[in-house]
Amino acid sequence: MEQLINDLKLQIKEALNLEELSIEEFDENAPLFGEEGIGLDSIDVLEIIVLLEKQYGIRLTNSKDGKAIFQSVRTIAEYVQANRKK
Amino acid sequence: MGVAVTGYGIICAIGNDASAVLESLKAERTGIGTMRYLPSSHKELPVGEVKLSNEEMKRMLGQDEKAIISRTVLLGAIAIRQALTHAQWPMVDGQATLDGRRESQWSMKGKRITVINGTTVGGMDITEHYLMQIKEDDALLPLLEKHDCGSSTREMADLAGLKDAEVCTISTACSSAINAIILGAEMIQNDEADIVIAGGTEALSRFHLNGFNSLMILDKERCRPFDKTRAGLNLGEGAAFVVLQASPDPSKGVGNRMSVADGDDSHRSPSPLERVGGRLFIRGYANCCDAFHQTASSENGEGAFLAMTEALQMAGLKPQDIQYINAHGTGTPNNDVSESTAIRRVFGERIPPVSSTKGFTGHTTSASGSIETVICILALLNNFVPANLGWHEQDETCITPTKGANGVSLNNILCNSFGFGGNDSAIVISRNPSPLPAHLLRKCHKICTLGEATITDIEQLQELRNFVSPGEARRMGKLMKAATITSLKALREAGIECPDAIITATAYGMLETSEKFLLDMLENGEETLSPTLFMQSTHNTLSSAIAIRTKCHGYNITYTQGSDSFEWAVRDARRLIETGKAKTVLVGYHDEATPSFQEFVRRMGKPMPPMLFSRSIVLSANEL
Repeated sequence: MEQLINDLKLQIKEALNLEELSIEEFDENAPLFGEEGIGLDSIDVLEIIVLLEKQYGIRLTNSKDGKAIFQSVRTIAEYVQANRKK
Repeated sequence: MGVAVTGYGIICAIGNDASAVLESLKAERTGIGTMRYLPSSHKELPVGEVKLSNEEMKRMLGQDEKAIISRTVLLGAIAIRQALTHAQWPMVDGQATLDGRRESQWSMKGKRITVINGTTVGGMDITEHYLMQIKEDDALLPLLEKHDCGSSTREMADLAGLKDAEVCTISTACSSAINAIILGAEMIQNDEADIVIAGGTEALSRFHLNGFNSLMILDKERCRPFDKTRAGLNLGEGAAFVVLQASPDPSKGVGNRMSVADGDDSHRSPSPLERVGGRLFIRGYANCCDAFHQTASSENGEGAFLAMTEALQMAGLKPQDIQYINAHGTGTPNNDVSESTAIRRVFGERIPPVSSTKGFTGHTTSASGSIETVICILALLNNFVPANLGWHEQDETCITPTKGANGVSLNNILCNSFGFGGNDSAIVISRNPSPLPAHLLRKCHKICTLGEATITDIEQLQELRNFVSPGEARRMGKLMKAATITSLKALREAGIECPDAIITATAYGMLETSEKFLLDMLENGEETLSPTLFMQSTHNTLSSAIAIRTKCHGYNITYTQGSDSFEWAVRDARRLIETGKAKTVLVGYHDEATPSFQEFVRRMGKPMPPMLFSRSIVLSANEL
């Protein structure tokens, strides 16, 4: 799980071009959206959906499904672990 | 003086000409169905295709079936020929028929004729088909010259029989064609042209089908605009053009019957528009900007509200004078609720019949504004209101669309057309011209430059950090960075935070992001493509990003006509200032190259384009 969390951090940082965010600062429990957390938006959700399909063979067809899954890196990791195809 | 519509042509999923389109509208027959012509792997997506192959269209236009011609060009040329035939414009030789094998040209003696085309796809269908082969084969290199929107407009005009006409391309994503009609009307009002053929054309491409798919706004069922269960749009394709001319003052008596024919037209039979009881006019129009988001509409529909309000004002009409609204109504959850809110803000409790005709045609993107304008013209001339196909269940947050009606008397129709980047426009089509005096050119103004800034080197992009945060910069390609810096520096020098209007010129648009998206699609297939790249691929990305940054809700437009792009942009800025519609206008000229683009150019033996060029100026009337 810790390895998966770390992989996801690197993949998200690269896919979303989060140059200013160091992996050490990237808290897997911090909310991804809103000003309190990492501050991502709806386009980032779409990019993470693409990432999950590319890296883990997970296909989400409705961006609204993402709300619960995309709360934090940890919730994404839990979802990936349960649903990954590769 | 009014701007009269003296002819029209249309080709889309529900018909290859106006009479077929009319029949489908009245029979409530959709054109959306299974993909047949587009070579995409996404066969699960319903589309509104024109029911003709490229070969069939080439035959209609008297072209060799083996000639490589963009579908966008073919559709546009057919619609223009129909419009000129309908306007009973004489040809120099040959017949004005679509079947004519001879390359006839329309008579243009002594007339100033301009073709204004709205498109974003341009020759992308050719590029996506041949790019990988072009990389290997020098003989195919000339095909790249068909890629950009400006050259596809030139080819379309030539193919339509208008080789000597001036051409101009507007690319504001899905509102391109309506903005082409608005520019045409402005040029007629200000006596810059005798005849304008304005509209738009867009063929389906794998590029934008996959782009919309990456944004997850395509419905896998038939679209249902304004319905509670709506889940996105279906893409469509097509073209429509209108012929615009000045309508002489009726008080001057004889000899003012409109005619596109030269000289004596006394033997001419009345055109179809005259036969069915008169002329139609582009009575009012407005182009505003939502200044909210690249791909989403604001909750309160501000851009749409402003466009509708200003179009009504110009038309000299009150909301209750409108008998039908042809909504943009794409069927995405976001557009339809935002547009409904805007309609409620303008019309209050008394909302006239509203329908989106995208359940018939699909969303024809850059062509939708002119396709829907022609649909409105057909409604006016035939006294009916088109249905809103696909609607079954009321959504409390949306307007209730009309089921359609026959035998109704229509005088004024409002037609909405919105695009990515919040490029929102509306026009009023009417049986009568506006009673208000037009904002005409006052030549006394002297235009001056209040500020300017230029970037020609990637090193200069370091300055971006003075203007935007790293978080905001993370999605920007180099052209966006350059345009942001030069725009904000020019505005700062001018001492202006928000200009009245933003005009962009670009020959090739967002090459870097478009190329990345395209190559990913061609090399890795039509899955897992990046929405961030797609949303930065349209030409109007720059203008709308600067509008969002400066909160500029005013006029916003993007010209893409090769090396003439900047001239068209400055011409528009002058017109806005001289007619008193804007006091300050930000004009930008932005272009970029990519390593592979430069390599293609080198192989062609042409002068090397710079990797980056961005120049912004703030123009103003002298007396500011």
